[in-house]
Amino acid sequence: MTTEQSGNAKAEPALPSSANQSKPVSEKPNYALKFTLEGHTEAVSSVKFSPNGEWLASSSADKVIIIWGAYDGKYEKTLKGHNLEISDVAWSSDSSRLVSASDDKTLKIWDVKSGKCLKTLKGHSNYVFCCNFNPPSNLIISGSFDESVKIWEVRTGKCLKTLSAHSDPVSAVHFNCSGSLIVSGSYDGVCRIWDAASGQCLKALVDDDNPPVSFVKFSPNGKYILIATLDNTLKLWDYSRGRCLKTYTGHKNEKYCVFASFSVTGGKWIVSGSEDNLVYIWNLQTKEIVQKLQGHTDVVISAACHPTENIIASAALGNDKTVKLWTSTY
Amino acid sequence: MEGDASDPEPPDAGEDSKSENGENAPIYCICRKPDINCFMIGCDNCNEWFHGDCIRITEKMAKAIREWYCRECREKDPKLEIRYRHKKSRERDSSERDGSEPRDEGGGRKRPAPDPDLQRRPGAGTGVGAMLARGSASPHKSSPQPLVATPSQHHQQQQQQQQVKRSARMCGECEACRRTEDCGHCDFCRDMKKFGGPNKIRQKCRLRQCQLRARLSPVTPSESLPRPRRPLPTQPQPQPSQKLGRLREDEGAVASAAVKEPPEATATPEPLSDEDLPLDSELYQDFCAGAFDDHSLPWMSDTEESPFLDPALRKRAVKVKHVKRREKKSEKKKDERYKRHRQKQKHKDKWKHPERADAKDPASLPQCLGPGCVRAAQPGSKYCSDDCGMKLAANRIYEILPQRIQQWQQSPCIAEEHGKKLLERIRREQQSARTRLQEMERRFHELEAIILRAKQQAVREDEESNEGDSDDTDLQIFCVSCGHPINPRVALRHMERCYAKYESQTSFGSMYPTRIEGATRLFCDVYNPQSKTYCKRLQVLCPEHSRDPKVPADEVCGCPLVRDVFELTGDFCRLPKRQCNRHYCWEKLRRAEVDLERVRVWYKLDELFEQERNVRTAMTNRAGLLALMLHQTIQHDPLTTDLRSSAER
Repeated sequence: MTTEQSGNAKAEPALPSSANQSKPVSEKPNYALKFTLEGHTEAVSSVKFSPNGEWLASSSADKVIIIWGAYDGKYEKTLKGHNLEISDVAWSSDSSRLVSASDDKTLKIWDVKSGKCLKTLKGHSNYVFCCNFNPPSNLIISGSFDESVKIWEVRTGKCLKTLSAHSDPVSAVHFNCSGSLIVSGSYDGVCRIWDAASGQCLKALVDDDNPPVSFVKFSPNGKYILIATLDNTLKLWDYSRGRCLKTYTGHKNEKYCVFASFSVTGGKWIVSGSEDNLVYIWNLQTKEIVQKLQGHTDVVISAACHPTENIIASAALGNDKTVKLWTSTY
Repeated sequence: MEGDASDPEPPDAGEDSKSENGENAPIYCICRKPDINCFMIGCDNCNEWFHGDCIRITEKMAKAIREWYCRECREKDPKLEIRYRHKKSRERDSSERDGSEPRDEGGGRKRPAPDPDLQRRPGAGTGVGAMLARGSASPHKSSPQPLVATPSQHHQQQQQQQQVKRSARMCGECEACRRTEDCGHCDFCRDMKKFGGPNKIRQKCRLRQCQLRARLSPVTPSESLPRPRRPLPTQPQPQPSQKLGRLREDEGAVASAAVKEPPEATATPEPLSDEDLPLDSELYQDFCAGAFDDHSLPWMSDTEESPFLDPALRKRAVKVKHVKRREKKSEKKKDERYKRHRQKQKHKDKWKHPERADAKDPASLPQCLGPGCVRAAQPGSKYCSDDCGMKLAANRIYEILPQRIQQWQQSPCIAEEHGKKLLERIRREQQSARTRLQEMERRFHELEAIILRAKQQAVREDEESNEGDSDDTDLQIFCVSCGHPINPRVALRHMERCYAKYESQTSFGSMYPTRIEGATRLFCDVYNPQSKTYCKRLQVLCPEHSRDPKVPADEVCGCPLVRDVFELTGDFCRLPKRQCNRHYCWEKLRRAEVDLERVRVWYKLDELFEQERNVRTAMTNRAGLLALMLHQTIQHDPLTTDLRSSAER
């Protein structure tokens, strides 16, 4: 080995000598199962990491939300209050609040520190399926089986706007990183992009055939949209050009609204759950499957990526009822 | 019309059908009389109406009938059968009734009057006609219009008293019902106005209380407003009582109104209260005992009907159609609740006496899950008794908990460490807050000392003239509170006073009295009984509850004078307090300043205390018994306890 390296600081571009942490060029991650978190008594519906990376929230069909420590997987607290199954949970940007969407047609805003429900948002006429905060966390967006998307104000708990968005249940809603755009996907196969301020539909993304859309999400930089459809396909669209750039397949997704995520802490991956009990990881650019995580005994409904560390949390349905934490070195 | 249609059968009952009608009145029944003032029942086949008396069907019996066909129709068509409501299948009937309701609408009960002549009974023609006739819904009753439609009817009504009356409280046939005069000697009579009583009890003469239907016990006095329905022996019924109560209220009101109409106070309004069930069982027995042709099935009486038969309304046109169970919904609910309650009772009983369960069906029940228990489990439970359940739970805890505790302690809990740090911080802040508090107290005492010293100064009048020259009397300042122009010299004084005047009219308080130890005078805390709050203004400042004491003439102002706003000169203002315009109520303001600071520090302490409490509860709940038993974190990699890649802080 060249002796200069130890002396000079960054004299030349770093060659991947040994297993350094600086800019690895490895092609595949090596996620390994570290923790299994048991505690839910029914199927887990969604897991989300808090933006500050400390907590993991998991919502379940047993009507409760459990908060776990993200780093040690230890139980922290339980949030009770909903009357029916919870379909989705989302964190506010300061990691102090949660919003949960439930089959009892309401959303609840929780204060994590005290564990109390701050507000209950009523207005939907059918199951509320998905929810999200906007980046300033003064608004909540929710999609429901009543085919509408509602925008709520956090402070007052009132519904500000109702977008009669789709002709079928809305399966996912998401804000972009600046909070100016909303994307909503629904079983009618159309993905719509709305202007958050005015509520105008700016664009509708429809592919050749329109399989039901089960999940949509903006990429962290806000330029792309990840769309999962119930024909075992994940697609990455360029929002402005309205073109599909990448397609990821190999997993099974025909029945459930499985969450997918961008992993940007190490290598650039697309992470998604699947109905064959595995967690799939694709290389974002090359579209090839780089790893399949095995361990769950039922459909992996949700997969979330930690904001700063290479940690993936996955949750499975009724036969399994656990949340698993996986880490990788890159 | 009368007597035109000759009917084969003479009237059976031979009762009084004395009714003077108009010549064109339609005739009914086998007796072919146009009398419509007594109870009638309609055939569901030929739509002819029959007097209850003539065919020997009393109203009571009719209540239990669902479908009725006259004898002629039944003879002509043997398929037609009279259907009753079975008492035992009451619940079934409740649901069936719903289904049968629309049919009834078209059927005999709720059809419009036999004659489509609307003059007759427009009110009774609709679906709930019978009951309305009974007088439950006030709109129909309070306005006599629909009832007194035809002149003939009206005429008939006036003759009410001479006819045999029938209602919930009068069977019309017993000795007591046939009496027409009050005895004048019983306690009820003596209470009547006509016998010189105070009219508090308001009951019929003792000798005129119907032997069959009257209330068993003498009731307490009441006004027109009926009492809410008393709970049944088994469970309370809030809902039916509400409904009934409201309606009864109407009736009660009507009753009192109606009482004034007839000259005779024969029917003083009975307090419409409860206890229908025991009564109905009586009636039920009566039915069973009674002999009726074709009726061999047990009857069930309509419990809901009785309260609505307002005695006053008995006087009115009682062309009563076959009654319908109006309150069937509440009945149903009552039944359901009754059923549920009974089940609960049974369940509770069984729980306490496990032996009884064995008697039921030991073969079909699973075995109790209690450790070492061989008895059968209670139906709907996994255990035979509480004890078994508790034992199993205890065993479970002994078995699982140690393992879980060990698991928990295997790796350090990050949240716990954060919590500890937080607690440290909070404690430090609490310390600093307390020192601040002490500081405040010191200032408080200092101020008091200054004020005391200042008061001991002597008065000197001559400084007043200095003040007068310096001010510019041309300028006019407007008071901020009242808006009037004021002399700048007295501006301060005026504004203070003005403000106090307005403020004293508003309240500012909270529900809780101040309970802080070691704090002297802070909040005013005067209780306002109207709004049930304690005044939360500063005690020294509160304009509402403390008036400035009267200033004696020789008291000195005593305000410490300053040079350049901040430097104390050591001198005090020597003007008499009454005249000093510069330092108007300076003590109050300074005291308030100090008090406000103290209040702020207390708030801060309170906040910190709250935070500490939160952290402590989180710490206990995180690894409490329930948390450990219900949740588990399995560590797959013994080396990795912390997923953070950077060095653990």
